[in-house]
Amino acid sequence: MTDLSPQLLLYIGTAAGLFAIGLYGFIVGPQTLRRILALNIIGAGIFMLMVVLAYRGLADGAADPVLQALILTGLVVAVSATAFALALLARLKQARPGQYRPEQEPGP
Amino acid sequence: MSPFWQQYLPLAIILSSLLPGLIIFTLKETQVKLRISLNLFGVGVKLLLVLLMWQAVKAGQQFYFSLPFLPGADLVLQGDALSLLFVVLSSVLWLATTIYAIGYLEHSPLRSRFFGYFSLCVSATVGLALAGNLVTFLLFYELLTLATFPLVVHRGTAQSLAAGRKYLAYTLGGGVILMLGVALLHSLVQSPLFTPGGYVTAVVSGNEGLLKLAFALMIAGLGVKAALLPLHGWLPQAMVAPAPVSALLHAVAVVKAGAFGIIRLVYDVFGVESMHALQLAQPLMLLAAATILYGSWRALSQQDIKRRLAYSTISQVSYITLGVAMLGPLAAVGGLVHLVHQGVMKITLFFCAGNFAETLGIHKVRQLNGVGRRMPVTAMAFTLGALGMIGIPPTAGFISKWYLGLGAAEVEQNWLILVFALSGLLNAAYFLPLVYRMWFLPQSMPWPQEQQLSNRFETHWMLLTPAVFTAVLLLLMGLFASTELSPLSWAELIVEREFRHD
Amino acid sequence: MMVLLLVLPLVGALLMLLWPKIAPLLTLLTATICSLAALQLLLQVSEQGSQQILLAGWPSGLAISLEANSLSCLLILLTTVLQLLVALYAFATYRRDKLGTGFWPLSSLLQLGLTSLWLSRDLFNLYVCLELLGLVAVALVSLSGDKAIKPALNYLLLSLFGSLCYLLGVAMLYGAYGVLDISALALQWQTNILSTAALLLMTLGLMLKAALWPLHGWLPAAHGAAPAPVSALLSALVVKGPLFILCLLWLQLASAPQAVAIAPLFTGCGLAALLLGGVSALRTPFAKNMVAYSTVAQLGYAMLALGLLLRFNQPLFAAALWLFVLAHALAKAACFLAIGEITATLGGKRLNTLKGASQTMPLAMFAFAVAGGSLIGLPPSGGFLAKWALLQGLWLQGDQLLWLLAIVLATLLSAAYVFRVVVLAFDRADPVAPDFAPRILPQWLALLPALAVWAMALYSEPLLRLLKQEGL
Repeated sequence: MTDLSPQLLLYIGTAAGLFAIGLYGFIVGPQTLRRILALNIIGAGIFMLMVVLAYRGLADGAADPVLQALILTGLVVAVSATAFALALLARLKQARPGQYRPEQEPGP
Repeated sequence: MSPFWQQYLPLAIILSSLLPGLIIFTLKETQVKLRISLNLFGVGVKLLLVLLMWQAVKAGQQFYFSLPFLPGADLVLQGDALSLLFVVLSSVLWLATTIYAIGYLEHSPLRSRFFGYFSLCVSATVGLALAGNLVTFLLFYELLTLATFPLVVHRGTAQSLAAGRKYLAYTLGGGVILMLGVALLHSLVQSPLFTPGGYVTAVVSGNEGLLKLAFALMIAGLGVKAALLPLHGWLPQAMVAPAPVSALLHAVAVVKAGAFGIIRLVYDVFGVESMHALQLAQPLMLLAAATILYGSWRALSQQDIKRRLAYSTISQVSYITLGVAMLGPLAAVGGLVHLVHQGVMKITLFFCAGNFAETLGIHKVRQLNGVGRRMPVTAMAFTLGALGMIGIPPTAGFISKWYLGLGAAEVEQNWLILVFALSGLLNAAYFLPLVYRMWFLPQSMPWPQEQQLSNRFETHWMLLTPAVFTAVLLLLMGLFASTELSPLSWAELIVEREFRHD
Repeated sequence: MMVLLLVLPLVGALLMLLWPKIAPLLTLLTATICSLAALQLLLQVSEQGSQQILLAGWPSGLAISLEANSLSCLLILLTTVLQLLVALYAFATYRRDKLGTGFWPLSSLLQLGLTSLWLSRDLFNLYVCLELLGLVAVALVSLSGDKAIKPALNYLLLSLFGSLCYLLGVAMLYGAYGVLDISALALQWQTNILSTAALLLMTLGLMLKAALWPLHGWLPAAHGAAPAPVSALLSALVVKGPLFILCLLWLQLASAPQAVAIAPLFTGCGLAALLLGGVSALRTPFAKNMVAYSTVAQLGYAMLALGLLLRFNQPLFAAALWLFVLAHALAKAACFLAIGEITATLGGKRLNTLKGASQTMPLAMFAFAVAGGSLIGLPPSGGFLAKWALLQGLWLQGDQLLWLLAIVLATLLSAAYVFRVVVLAFDRADPVAPDFAPRILPQWLALLPALAVWAMALYSEPLLRLLKQEGL
């Protein structure tokens, strides 16, 4: 592994910070929408880390194409998953307007 | 006989009850005739095949059939003298019980299911008898549990469901413990064929602790079904099952499976030599003796006839274990022959108890007063069975106890003779009052629930014949014990083959 | 052959979206062809050894590479056959149970995701497969209608979170080593904090997705709420996907010290899953939830086997692990189909509904009991084979009495919850009357996998040989 410049460290630190914020939100947030957003923040943190890593230690300044391909794929997956989650959430609110509260077991 | 036949004969014996059983499951309730003929056809074929095998084994042939199963342990079916003893017992008694069950369950619901599981149960028992190694034995042992459970809960009442739960808890627990033991032994010596003289002798030195552990685990697993002392709790409760089921459980299938397993374990897995080297005989002997006395003692205070019989079973089956644990040839003859004798005697008693319950509604001991006049044939059969249990000549029971006593003297365990004497007294104390009430006391109250089951006989002929058949059988086995056809001479043949190696 | 196995379900799913009317038939068709192809592949691989292909002619490193070894082939065969069976069941019941039209394309996609997962040996491809699997599984759960949305959403969020953890681990590993292919990565593997952290992160994500204890909380609700054929697929196959990746990571990537260090975690969690999952299964009042909790418990066996394998490196444990996976898949499919059929016919979700089921629906009840026998590990079933291998391994290691005791306890617990149902079914006092005449075909379909799991025992030798060929 090549040495990390301070600038790189900063980016990595930011990515880690994003991840931590998202993680906090995911674990604490009681509302589903908040948790979906938190997942997106975690995703942003990871993608940022990958972007940073793509530039790591490559002398000519070119980015690692494999990582960029991965990020693209990951973004597509993340967007579709978020859309799906939001659709489910919308259906949930539709199904029981007004009385939205979590339940343990399916009703008898 | 061609070699092809020889190979498939053990499998055919199992299939002769398994296939009819599976077909019976698919039959409708109303197809009574077809079901009965299928059942009897299966019994007939099985008896025929067993006869074939009996003659061949007597001539010194061995049967062997194997399927690949686990690494180092194939599924092996093997017909040797010992397995044949059990196979003959279960096939003959299956015939009697089937006829009895047909009469007993006439007009009751869910008969297809009942007879289906009944056949499965016998198949599992026969498979267990023919099992050629421990893994195969384990397999049939578990199948037997599964096949008998629906029979125990057949009535579907709260009481029978509770008994069924208890039965399962005990037997499945025992099965798991047995599996642990078998796996341990398998990891030490694999699971070769059962061999007279055992196969662990070579590894005894250096593995004493593990072998002892394996033995203890397996005895605990088998002891559940054989109703050894702390593990007998399920047996008296399982009495809620219909009478033919109780008869089958007590005389042939379940408790005998445990006892038979102990015989196999002691003689054909560990062998006399290793048993001595590992000093395993003494604890087993103590346990069996304690069970004999405890069962008899508890039987004394039971007021329900079937429960009294159940405790008597606990006591009597341990005679087999005790005979085996003494490790002497004479005692072994006693134990082996008791396997057969106890089966025939106990099934007679259960048939009779069932007859009393079905015909007159008698369940309690005190209701028996004067039954001898109302149902003389059944009462006679019951008396014969009871005398056999006590060990009075010329019944079969006398023969086995005689040999057990001789065996105890032979291996110089004189305290066991005391145990036998005490237990004999207790047996008399709980059986003779029944006999006395039946014949010598006048009827003190009206029969609880009398039914007119037959115009010509005292009860339905299908209920009467099996009881008479087995009662005559147990008398014959006692009277003609010295002839070549008797279980005694067969047991001697087995013991001769078992002990010949040393 | 491998490409066919991937392309066919994909094309099938697209066609199903275009012509929803013929979707059921198309599903059956693709599943049949795929089953045959999987069998062919298995035969090829068992004769000629594992095969590898690079998609679309790209050079190694860039191309998506697929590798079929005997284990993968076995799992693919299992997937396609179960898919065929469940599709048949769904075909027989979809009108009655009002199964959404979405089921057909989604189940095809599920098959695609699983097949590609079994074939991938590249960390990022595995991620994509995982995501595909997770999304499709959630969509399938939500088919049940409004009451399933909440568990489905919960499942989705946790599944996404798990995937992200896994992805972060992948990113860290790629940053450190610059390769994604597992075998290439294993060559340059170093034991350091970074690789350990990455492994742990991925493990966390995968355990969450595989519902391994203590991260199993979402499973009973989701599997319980899904329609019966979906629950069968989810319990039998989907949770095994992440488990497979977990095994790949720890068996092929991790160095010996790392593996030994993680072993207690797996064995401990496995043990807890066995015992606590069993207790939960015993206590839940809902029929399908009971089966779902049983999945949690049974996954404990796989985890226990994995932990012991990592610790002792004894091939018997590897055999036990995969035998558990195979046996559990078949048995659980049978359980869910049987219970689903019974609850649908008798109307009701509670266990009490099953009262007297041995009279009203004997075949389905028999299927459940037979499958339950394998879950308990009664001989001669697949579950017994697996347990036997585990016991042999333990006795050979010697001095493992604690584990043996735990296995005994777990066995008894599973017996307790299986027979709780069976005893109820034998209750003759006022049995629950069926809402409509019980149908025979779905019951037979539930019985088939149950019989298959018992037949597994008779083919133990070829199975064990195949599993031993596998280097895992």
